[in-house]
Amino acid sequence: MSFDLNLILDSLPKMLAGFGVTLQLLVVSGLLGLILAILLLLMRLSGKFYLDWVAQVYIYIFRGTPILVQIFIIYYGLPQFEAVRDSVFWSILREPTGCAILALTLNTGAYVSEILRGGVLGVDKGLLEAGSALGMSARQKFIYITTPLATRLALPAYSNDVISLLKSTALASTITITDMTGIARTIVADTYAPYEVFISLAIVYMIFTFGIQKLFGVFERYLGRYARREE
Amino acid sequence: MEVLTGWWDDYLWGAVIVAKVFAASLLLMVLFGLIGAAAKLSDNRVAQKIANGYTVIFRGTPEILVILLLYFGSAIVLTAIAQVFDPDIRFVDVPPFWAGTIAIALIVGSYATETFRGAFLGVKPGSIEAARALGMSPLQTFIYIRIPEMWRIALPPFGNHMLSLVKDTALISIIGLNETLFVAKQAITVTGKPFTMYIVVGIIYLGFSSLITLSVMGIEKFGNRTTVGAR
Repeated sequence: MSFDLNLILDSLPKMLAGFGVTLQLLVVSGLLGLILAILLLLMRLSGKFYLDWVAQVYIYIFRGTPILVQIFIIYYGLPQFEAVRDSVFWSILREPTGCAILALTLNTGAYVSEILRGGVLGVDKGLLEAGSALGMSARQKFIYITTPLATRLALPAYSNDVISLLKSTALASTITITDMTGIARTIVADTYAPYEVFISLAIVYMIFTFGIQKLFGVFERYLGRYARREE
Repeated sequence: MEVLTGWWDDYLWGAVIVAKVFAASLLLMVLFGLIGAAAKLSDNRVAQKIANGYTVIFRGTPEILVILLLYFGSAIVLTAIAQVFDPDIRFVDVPPFWAGTIAIALIVGSYATETFRGAFLGVKPGSIEAARALGMSPLQTFIYIRIPEMWRIALPPFGNHMLSLVKDTALISIIGLNETLFVAKQAITVTGKPFTMYIVVGIIYLGFSSLITLSVMGIEKFGNRTTVGAR
């Protein structure tokens, strides 16, 4: 058993060619997931029991099952139905990338909406009372008081979820997508050198994770610029 | 529903394997988490560095990569070792059960490290001073004061770690563990009904998640029975 450096130098550029796919999966499903999460949050905060209930069941199901099962249900499962194959969504669901993005979006939306809810519930009641005393409407209070404060409270947990979303994108390789992990698995199947290939890829992911953490750190400091030394 | 006839017992055995992986990885995860937390809280610089490296590596790498690396990697190492004793051995097969169990225990153990560390730091200094005033030895303080206070703090995040463990079990099907997702794949090649088969997998995992959530809620209630109103 030896550690082949040339193989790393040889395979690293090949794996990095899949960086664009990984980034695309992360950014597109991250943004769509955030929109879905806000929708679910508004449903839960609406005070209408039927909206709240639907959102709760949705979150329960998507947080209670493995993401891999969700990917398989969407990619392999949905084409079982003729109606799906005839529908307008078929152009998306036919492509593995479309399925992966859909699955990741639906999954991360459920997690992020709970994080956002934690942020909203963490907003100091006194500030909302102050808003009422100033004659703000419920909508104004939500936009000018709850939203900015909840964003700041939820950001650390949100950055953790973006990192787990990045790690979940690696599962796209199970439905034939050639992201970084997909390419690495092909190389390992050819060369049978799991150490060199998987460890160098793990380092790439770690650098990526580190970058995301730093980026959110900067954003967190920016949002917290008025709140320093106040706790 | 008729397509499921004849597959129920396969799913049942798949579910038993999920439960086995969960039980084994839970023990290992607690062990890794406690060792990691002990190292991080110790005064030993080297131990701190190693524990930090452990959490950075396993929290920043996709789960599937860790599983693949451990499975294929350990097979190569074991083959190399076996060939020292008997050069005729071509290949040593590592059981996917143990490769996968250790992999997910290492991953979730890195999260548990942070949870346990935080929980030990969350024990009130006043309680420890009180123990000392009562003449308790450090060991007695650890057993009667630190542990009972610590596990109550750690329980809610620990419940989430248990959910991650059970959901990560699905990933081990990639390296050939015959759990429910693997059963579904076989059933699909025979019946050609992917949606139905994968939905059953989803329901089984949802059952496991619900069971864990309910148990954690029950234990939490039991743990806080004497502290009602204290917080």
